[in-house]
Amino acid sequence: MRVLSCIKQVAVLGEEVEIDPGGRDVDPDYLERSLNEWDACALEEALRIVEAVGDRAENEVVAVTAGDEESEEALRRCLAMGADRAKRVELDPGSSGPSDPLTVAKALARAIEGESADLVLCGVQSSDSVQAATGTMLAELLGLARTAVVTKVSLDPAAGKAMAHRELEGGLIDVVEVDLPALLTIQTGINEPRYATLRAIKQANLKEIEVLAGPSESAGAFRVRRMFVPDKGASAELLGSDPAEVAKRVSEIITARLS
Amino acid sequence: MGETRTVFAGLSHGEIIAWYGLIVVSTAVFLWGAARLVVKYRAGRRDPISQLWRRAGHMFAVVFSHKWISRRDRLTGIGHRLVFYGFLVLFAGTTILGLQTDLTKPIFHWEFWEGGFYLGYKLALDIAGLLLICGLALLAFNRWRRRPARLDYSRPDRPEGGEAGADRRLYRVGDVVFVSTLAFLAVTGFLLEGFYLADADPRFAAWSPVGWVLMKWFRAMGLTGKSAGLAHHVLWWVHGLAALSFVSSIPYTKAVHMLVGPANVAVRDDTAGKRLVPLAADAASEDVGYAAITDLTWRHLLSLDACTKCGKCTDSCPAAKAGYPLSPRDLVLDLRERAEALLGAHAALGLSGAAAGTAAASRAAGGNGAAAANGAAGVSGADPGRRVVLGEPIRPESIWSCTQCMACVEICPVGIEHVPIINQFRRRLVEQGEMDPLLQSTLETIYEAGNSLGEPKRKRGRWTDELTFTVKDARKEEVDLLWFVGDYASFDPRNQRVTRALATILERAGVDFGILYAAEQTAGCDVRRAGEEGLFSSLAEANVAEISKCRFQRILSSDPHSYHTLKNEYPAFGGDWQVLHHSELLLELLSSRALEPARRLGYRVTYHDPCMLGRYNGVYDAPRKVLETIGVELVEMPRNRDNSLCCGAGGGRIWMKEKRAEGSRRTSEQRIDEATSLGPIDYFVVCCPKDVTMYSDAIKTSGHEGALELRELSELVWESLALDA
Repeated sequence: MRVLSCIKQVAVLGEEVEIDPGGRDVDPDYLERSLNEWDACALEEALRIVEAVGDRAENEVVAVTAGDEESEEALRRCLAMGADRAKRVELDPGSSGPSDPLTVAKALARAIEGESADLVLCGVQSSDSVQAATGTMLAELLGLARTAVVTKVSLDPAAGKAMAHRELEGGLIDVVEVDLPALLTIQTGINEPRYATLRAIKQANLKEIEVLAGPSESAGAFRVRRMFVPDKGASAELLGSDPAEVAKRVSEIITARLS
Repeated sequence: MGETRTVFAGLSHGEIIAWYGLIVVSTAVFLWGAARLVVKYRAGRRDPISQLWRRAGHMFAVVFSHKWISRRDRLTGIGHRLVFYGFLVLFAGTTILGLQTDLTKPIFHWEFWEGGFYLGYKLALDIAGLLLICGLALLAFNRWRRRPARLDYSRPDRPEGGEAGADRRLYRVGDVVFVSTLAFLAVTGFLLEGFYLADADPRFAAWSPVGWVLMKWFRAMGLTGKSAGLAHHVLWWVHGLAALSFVSSIPYTKAVHMLVGPANVAVRDDTAGKRLVPLAADAASEDVGYAAITDLTWRHLLSLDACTKCGKCTDSCPAAKAGYPLSPRDLVLDLRERAEALLGAHAALGLSGAAAGTAAASRAAGGNGAAAANGAAGVSGADPGRRVVLGEPIRPESIWSCTQCMACVEICPVGIEHVPIINQFRRRLVEQGEMDPLLQSTLETIYEAGNSLGEPKRKRGRWTDELTFTVKDARKEEVDLLWFVGDYASFDPRNQRVTRALATILERAGVDFGILYAAEQTAGCDVRRAGEEGLFSSLAEANVAEISKCRFQRILSSDPHSYHTLKNEYPAFGGDWQVLHHSELLLELLSSRALEPARRLGYRVTYHDPCMLGRYNGVYDAPRKVLETIGVELVEMPRNRDNSLCCGAGGGRIWMKEKRAEGSRRTSEQRIDEATSLGPIDYFVVCCPKDVTMYSDAIKTSGHEGALELRELSELVWESLALDA
């Protein structure tokens, strides 16, 4: 069995944010980078599925990303967690701001085609651009059945089927049977991703990451025109930091609204 | 021929042959047991040893001075000294006699056991016997009358309470047998002497004063001549058989500490716990840390047998005191029992298989899933599954309870290394991802952000914004003093006040100093002690690389954790610098008059020794002298200096949830109780950022708010200089 796990190295915002001079993205100086939380869960699920099948020599997990060289750090983390191989499709965010989901999906598809994967797992969304579209687009490009927002998976490899629980509004659970190969987008909370020790990360640094050329057409499905911090709304009132004054003001507001 | 007595007096030729036969048998039993010990230790991991002569010298110094045994327990110190020296002289006496009987007389026809030598020998041995009996009486009085809590075998590490399924009956029987055997040997020895003198009545009987008194007594009872000879004859065999049994039993009983205790003092690591053993870069997952009993190094396996169950470790353990499931003594005993059952004489004799397996299974039944699996796999003695001790009996919650404060290692009379052993178990738990989720996310944060608070690197120097002067960037210009500030002191608002106070003092004293700003990362002291060795080494490498780029004379650290690691653990990563704690620097500046207190503060304060500064590095006097210089009256808490009580934050505990027994009190709160018991105290003085945080909280939660306040050492110095904020 072969499970492909698509991951993204996301940008994490600190307390302070500055927009870069181009006005299309956050100034990289104000960002930390990390493995997307949803993708960490998807990788963990991929590892658990393969570990449950048994013989690790014949079953593998392959981590795939589309991004620049810096994003290999997230792939290293996946290798440290236990992925057998890692592939990166060259994708430079360039000057036009973050890549759109379709461009990313096309890039990922290049790495997954020819792997004859039994299962492809993606995170539901990335924490930085929050489009929740890449996984679905990738399924379409690969011609795979797609099940989104999965909170539980059980596999029946002999029957070539997977049972997936999908999270719906209002706490409803949708139980779906899907034929393999399939693509699932994984929701957080499905598991607790394992810790990758620095020993394992350092050893992963010695492993080779297969790098593929990115898609030739550079024009994405959309471009970011402008990124900005919205002005404070007129209806908001900041109450300061002195507890006594805040309490007094809250009391005044409540009294005024109630009367 | 001068004064002497006939060896083997009254024994027939056959009896003497039988006696030598028994000596051969008992020696063989002793040697087999001793050899089994060696075989057991060889089952552990390799760990090369060097400097044997220096080690031997150190061992003799420790053993003969009894300085480790006497610490914080004078009664036991005196009692054990009497037993030790009494036994040693008696043993030497027997050896000397054996030397003549079996070596010098038959081979060289030389007899020296006569005349003045003989009389001195008799007197010395009589005195030694008396000392031995007095020592045994003192120790017995301590154990069975005075009953200090540390000698109770109840397990504070088990929620079940009491001895919690662990069979400690054999230990109690062993204690009685050991003391009474020694006493029996001493008493029968004296009686033998009395009977001999009553029979032979030599003119020099008074040289054996105890025997002489007994002789008088026996004679008064009418026991002379032949009847005394008969009594001597019977008792000779009783005494002889008891002595041979004792010798042959040494490797198998509590008496083994006579061999392994000194051996452990000799082979132990002098820097145990202070410099943890690095992990090989190419180590496979299953080689990381300890999980199986055979993962322990031979030194650690050996140290287990040195334990005398004196309980000083558990008695000094802050985790045990605060209701955490940890008892260093029981950790050692659990490991020792498993090692003996699987690798020792018990295993070789087939005594341990079923019994130990059942015990493990029954204990595992109450434990977690992994433990149950381990126990179930352990029914057969040969099953390699039973070698795995992590899970049961070594429970992860116990391993995580430790604050790595070194109180146990520091007080252990035989030098057992509990802290590094626990750290090795932690390494495996981290490798398996079995840790508090909060610790896991903190480690991930440190990996990504370079600090434990998840603050952006560029904010590390923000604390300087409120200063009236600029702090030099040591990356860009040469400084005299490179200040490694540390996470809490850089980012935590309460600690930033302290950091600014210290910066202002340095500025006032004209010290040329600078900081690393964004290039500084967590030193990694607690990362290492939490068991994430890989992350520690990458932090160390990064910091050493950054610091090495700077030009400076000395390093200042205001955080004892960073101080310890920079000073003691970075040399292994190529960073060998002179590192100062700020208490040492403040003392230097006050002594050289670079700082002149404007007034004597006149407060009444108490001072808390941080573990990493005190026990780890022996810096006890500098902060005290600083307090004296600024005119503060220092009132010591009962537990001070090396006996200082850990605040509870060390070893990464500050990044884990508290899992204490209900009704227990945090050690930080117990410490504030201790401080308030000293009468009116103005300030509780600390010099560690973690202490600032822990004790600021503890003063509030312990119910002593208003009774005293917390001050960092720098804040008091700052106040004495009458500086403006």
